[in-house]
Amino acid sequence: MKMRRSVILESGVAVASGPILVFSIYLLAAGHNQPGGGFAGGLVAAVVVLLAWAAGGPDSVRRVVPVSASVLAGSGLVIAAVTGLVPMVLGGSLLESGYVEVAIPWIGDIKLVSALGFDIGVYLVVLGMVVGLLTSLGQESRR
Amino acid sequence: MGPIMTGVLLFHIALGLALVGSGGQPRRRVWVFALLSPLSILGAALFASDGRVDWVPQLDLELVFRLDGYARVFLGIIGGAGLAIFWHASRYFTPSRKATRFAGTMVLFAGAMAGLVTSDHLLGIFLFWEVTTITSYLLIGYSDEKAQARVAALQAALVTGAGGLAMLGGLVLLGREAGTFLVSEIITNPPSASLAWVLILVGAMSKSAQFPLHGWLPAAMAAPTPASAFLHSATMVKAGIFLVGRLGPAATETSWWQPTVMVIGFSTMLVGGWAAIRQTDLKLLLAHGTVSQLGFLFVLFGSGIPKALYGGLALIIAHAAFKATLFMVVGSIDLATGTRDLRALSGLARSMPGLFTVAALASASMAAIPLSFGFAAKEAAFDGLSGTFALPVAALASVLTVVYTGRFLIGGFGPAAPESEAVTGRPVTGALLAAPGILAGLGLVIGLAPGLVADIVESASGEKGKLVLWPGFVEPLWWSLASLAIGLVLLRRGEIVDFVQERLHSSRIPKSDRVFAAGVSGLVASADRSTSLIQNGSLPSYVTVILATVLTVPAVVALRGGVVVGVPAFGGPVEALLGALVVASAAGLIWVRGRFAAVILLGGVGYGVAGLFALAGGPDLALTQLLVETLVIGFFALVFRRLPAAFPKPIRRPSRVIISVAVGLFVFAVGLVMTGGNPATEVADGYLTQALPDAAGRNVVNVVLVDFRALDTLGEITVLVIAALGAAGLIRPLLRSEDGQP
Repeated sequence: MKMRRSVILESGVAVASGPILVFSIYLLAAGHNQPGGGFAGGLVAAVVVLLAWAAGGPDSVRRVVPVSASVLAGSGLVIAAVTGLVPMVLGGSLLESGYVEVAIPWIGDIKLVSALGFDIGVYLVVLGMVVGLLTSLGQESRR
Repeated sequence: MGPIMTGVLLFHIALGLALVGSGGQPRRRVWVFALLSPLSILGAALFASDGRVDWVPQLDLELVFRLDGYARVFLGIIGGAGLAIFWHASRYFTPSRKATRFAGTMVLFAGAMAGLVTSDHLLGIFLFWEVTTITSYLLIGYSDEKAQARVAALQAALVTGAGGLAMLGGLVLLGREAGTFLVSEIITNPPSASLAWVLILVGAMSKSAQFPLHGWLPAAMAAPTPASAFLHSATMVKAGIFLVGRLGPAATETSWWQPTVMVIGFSTMLVGGWAAIRQTDLKLLLAHGTVSQLGFLFVLFGSGIPKALYGGLALIIAHAAFKATLFMVVGSIDLATGTRDLRALSGLARSMPGLFTVAALASASMAAIPLSFGFAAKEAAFDGLSGTFALPVAALASVLTVVYTGRFLIGGFGPAAPESEAVTGRPVTGALLAAPGILAGLGLVIGLAPGLVADIVESASGEKGKLVLWPGFVEPLWWSLASLAIGLVLLRRGEIVDFVQERLHSSRIPKSDRVFAAGVSGLVASADRSTSLIQNGSLPSYVTVILATVLTVPAVVALRGGVVVGVPAFGGPVEALLGALVVASAAGLIWVRGRFAAVILLGGVGYGVAGLFALAGGPDLALTQLLVETLVIGFFALVFRRLPAAFPKPIRRPSRVIISVAVGLFVFAVGLVMTGGNPATEVADGYLTQALPDAAGRNVVNVVLVDFRALDTLGEITVLVIAALGAAGLIRPLLRSEDGQP
């Protein structure tokens, strides 16, 4: 089965992908105080990958996400685990969180919460899982 | 601290592993290193002291070593027999990688055995016990190219392993009942824990080859002779004896213990002796003889009679000495002539006078001929049993011992049987002769001067017994002399024995190895059957089982405790609209036939529910639901490309319809209960108030996920990754093979 290409779809996806990705990062970053978080953010990013697949098939997925799914999911898991372990090294308990307030000009005070690292891990795991399913299920039959 | 004992054990681990993993050129020299093992154990027997090592302090697990006289006797046996056997083995094996590995495994075994007999902690005993099972498995299976050896190794591992598991249960029960896992404390304050004693008895029986669990020991003769001599006569099979001897004083508080031990031990003694007479293979004859002797030791150690324990300790030393000697003799004969068949061996008494002398000395001890160590030990044992019904039974079994010993000596060294081709051999030299010779000589010396070990036995048993050169004309002696005389007569008139054997064995007595084989194959067959029943590969039946469980379990709970059902308030026109969308989509799903139409309808349900979440004030939930729904539709699209556009014609089985409807109603009811009941708000309130001060976050859902319950989340994403890897692993080859088709 050779996929038929659609110029409208491809261009639409190309235009939409950027804003969607920005939104996904926003969800990740704002998640601690606003609706969102690593899981939702990861899913939104996964939608971009899904769109890329719909527009251009597995090749296009590989262009959008140059690393393999296992690297994504694996590094996510490692990041989450390390974030959990760092407090132990510093003398706290496993997965304890802390925060610092940083003043950034023009934007204002921002609280940086260490749990964000954990959320980044979740984000990558979710994204990696979707990419993995897309690349394995979405393979083209070479007929 | 008992640094010596700890050091000896660590040394064994290091030495054993080094030998097992040694990659160098195989040489005879490895046995020099291996000999350090029994030497160090002998050293421990003399110099080590009590001690304890923290193992897992969090669980109160520790290794406690108790170096009392009792433990020292066993250490001495392990070290002494080990020394001779390792030396013998250095000539028995042609150097090879495999032989080096064998030496390493023997060292590991010796270490485990030393740990076992010095452990005071029940779980320490179990730990070392299991290590001996594993190493025994490896040693029996040395000739792994032979199916017989593999089967024998497996049988031994299964029987003793199962016994070990039973024993673990017993030890844990005992420890909990007594409030302590230390044997020394249990003895002083024995709990009445009948089940524990049953289980421990089963464990000891399996390890010490007690009837009816004795079948593995003769089968284990597939092992190289050094292993048979060390494990299956001198040491490992004594572990069960050791255990009943250690715990016997406490166990006899339970009324059935002593008679049970006596019945088991004496049955074993008679069955083993009887079977030994029938054997034509020298090694098998010794193996069955060992079973018989173990039965006697079981009685002496387990009966809880102090004087019997005294005799038992004397006998266990004597047995280790003469049985290890005889095994080594058989190994030497096997090496020199290439056979162990007592019908074929001919005139070895003349061609191997040295070996014959050694064998005769050890045999005299085995048959308890006066002035031998075996005689002195047996008199001490009989003295312990005198005045009970046990003495005549033991004397009867001794008749069998005399007969099989005679058959061993005459068969092995006398003329060949007329119908067999005579085999003879050249004399053996070096360690093949000297190693058994030293042990036999030791037996001779102790036989003439039993006082040498009397003190040791006395301190080990805490009892003053009668280990002397000549006991005087007392009751036990008459029984001994009678059994010796009858035995000699029967030996001379072999046809009487043969006649009885013939008659008995034409009748159908189930043989223990057959029973074992039938048991194992029955187990495998029933596993097959239950697997094909439970894992039948049909998705509908799996789903049926899962849904039925979902229905029954909560239904039972709901029926037992009252649940509050409430009707939620009407939420306005938008909610009604979304609800209608959900209901309509769900209803459409039942009738629609096209796959893509079904996916769209499923999406309708999902988006509708997401909308309801948003209305109810759960933006996070709504957002996630929306995204998951979107992605799921995408994935369905991926999969459905490869499937026919329409569902196959559905099979409407009434049972499935009923279950489906029931699940639907159940979920509906759950919804009503959830909204109507009064959910515990304590937890929710705690999270709501603590989220900002504790975790600096206003989105409580996210705070719960990444902070309060972060460990759960970590577990979940781990599962997610594993599931994704598994799914990818399953899907890829499937698609590849599909692609491969023309």
